[in-house]
Amino acid sequence: MAPTKTAPLATRRTILQALLSVPAFALFAAHATPSREQPADGLVEVNGWILKRSELA
Amino acid sequence: MIFENFEGFSASGFKPKVILIGSGPAGVTIARKLAAAGIPAAIFEAGQADFTEESQDFYKGTTVGDYYFDLDVARLRYFGGCSNHWAGWCRVMDAIDFEPKAWAPDTGWPIRRTDIEPYLNEVHDILDLVPFRDDVWISDDIRWVQLIKSPAVRFNEKYRAELEESKNIALVLDTYVTRLEGDGTKVTGAHVWSGGKDQGIATADFYIPCTGGLENSRLLLWSNEQSNGGVVPHAEALGKYWMEHPQFQGGNALMNDPDQFEMDAVSEAFFSPSIEAMQREQILNFGIRFIKMPYHGAKWLMAELACVAPDTAEWVSGGLGGNLRCAAQLMMGWEQAPRADNFVALSATEKDALGIPRIELHWKKSELEHRTLLQGLRLFGKTLAEKDYGRVRVEDWVLNNEPYPNDQELAGYHHMGGTRMGDDLSKSIVDRNQQVHGMANLYVGGSSVFTTSGQCNPTTTIVALSCRLGDHLAKRINQSAMAQ
Repeated sequence: MAPTKTAPLATRRTILQALLSVPAFALFAAHATPSREQPADGLVEVNGWILKRSELA
Repeated sequence: MIFENFEGFSASGFKPKVILIGSGPAGVTIARKLAAAGIPAAIFEAGQADFTEESQDFYKGTTVGDYYFDLDVARLRYFGGCSNHWAGWCRVMDAIDFEPKAWAPDTGWPIRRTDIEPYLNEVHDILDLVPFRDDVWISDDIRWVQLIKSPAVRFNEKYRAELEESKNIALVLDTYVTRLEGDGTKVTGAHVWSGGKDQGIATADFYIPCTGGLENSRLLLWSNEQSNGGVVPHAEALGKYWMEHPQFQGGNALMNDPDQFEMDAVSEAFFSPSIEAMQREQILNFGIRFIKMPYHGAKWLMAELACVAPDTAEWVSGGLGGNLRCAAQLMMGWEQAPRADNFVALSATEKDALGIPRIELHWKKSELEHRTLLQGLRLFGKTLAEKDYGRVRVEDWVLNNEPYPNDQELAGYHHMGGTRMGDDLSKSIVDRNQQVHGMANLYVGGSSVFTTSGQCNPTTTIVALSCRLGDHLAKRINQSAMAQ
């Protein structure tokens, strides 16, 4: 599933933005690959690398 | 009509309604709009048809503060101005760039993006652009944005024939407006130097300096000083709130799939933040230029990642197919905070060949900008990790808040502010129509009117604002003519 922006409130503006994003969404979907299954862990910064906590050596 | 110098122009008998100073994208665009409305306009260009060292010498100046380019190589003083060396990168400033931001003082334009949107079709024709695509959200924080690499229109090439044939536009080369004369309510004339001598004062109903984001301030500062405040009566902000787009490589990235994002012809893609992320992190707008790295860089980066996260390094390398195409440099360019202590001043000691003070530019990056650089890279890294698109490494000098390197791009050669647009007379020089506060017949064109800089290259927005100014002035002049 390709990512898209979600808004906390479905205002008229956000609905309009969602409609306007459809062509671009399709463009992105063509190039996006499925993500790996995401572990429910936080992010850490090690030596400047922004990593998931679970992938530390 | 194109004249080689002011004498030829004077002999022609051409009577301009508007004098534009400078033949770059702003000056030419405004003149074309006026001409299309039947209004005669003269463009006084200080340089010649082509580059000369003698003309360029007038642009020498000094910078106080952060390391910056030599001022005489950062712009061009001949027909076409900076369009003669720009790279052609185009994007209109975002709607959020025009909005005030509570966490960044003195932000917020008196106009909104919707005020320039009606002119974007014209801008596409002028700059030979393909249509822009919408931004693509890759997370709540980050959008994948488009920056069109256009053919880089050279205005002296594209519009030379049109100007030569025009009955309503007189382009006058070798004509240096040394200063404007004013009485505190209106400009009364422009002092002109041409053909190696003083040519006296040229007059018109309206005057529009379009000499660039440094020189507009210089011209108005000098004019105001010589006229005892008669050219810019509300001058508190004159020369101030000058801005650039700092640009540095702040990090690297490894991507699992090198084709994750569609790259342009030179293997680059661009990313910017959401307004919510900017607000949460208390930062300004930025653009991350994602540049694919050569093999040796990718190999080194992969080895580094393997030290701290071997499984992740293995996972990323699995997506490479052995060719290591997926490493990238992250070149960060960002919006500089508008600050009164970044300013253009007249040098007390250095003068050009005609005795006019050269520019002394005071420019420093602030703490807010370092935060934008660091937190922006972190936002991008967080998105790439959470979505498993790849991993980001932030450079040590950024993490440790060390001095900015002097051997990188430094900035975009984008000169903005100095005569900024606003409603507050103490913090702006022109109003929402680019008319100088308190002056009946003086407008300013170009990026010196930018209230804030946004993060994108300025030429597209300059041309859009110039179309709008041309329209505004044409309507004003024609309505005035009908009323008489």
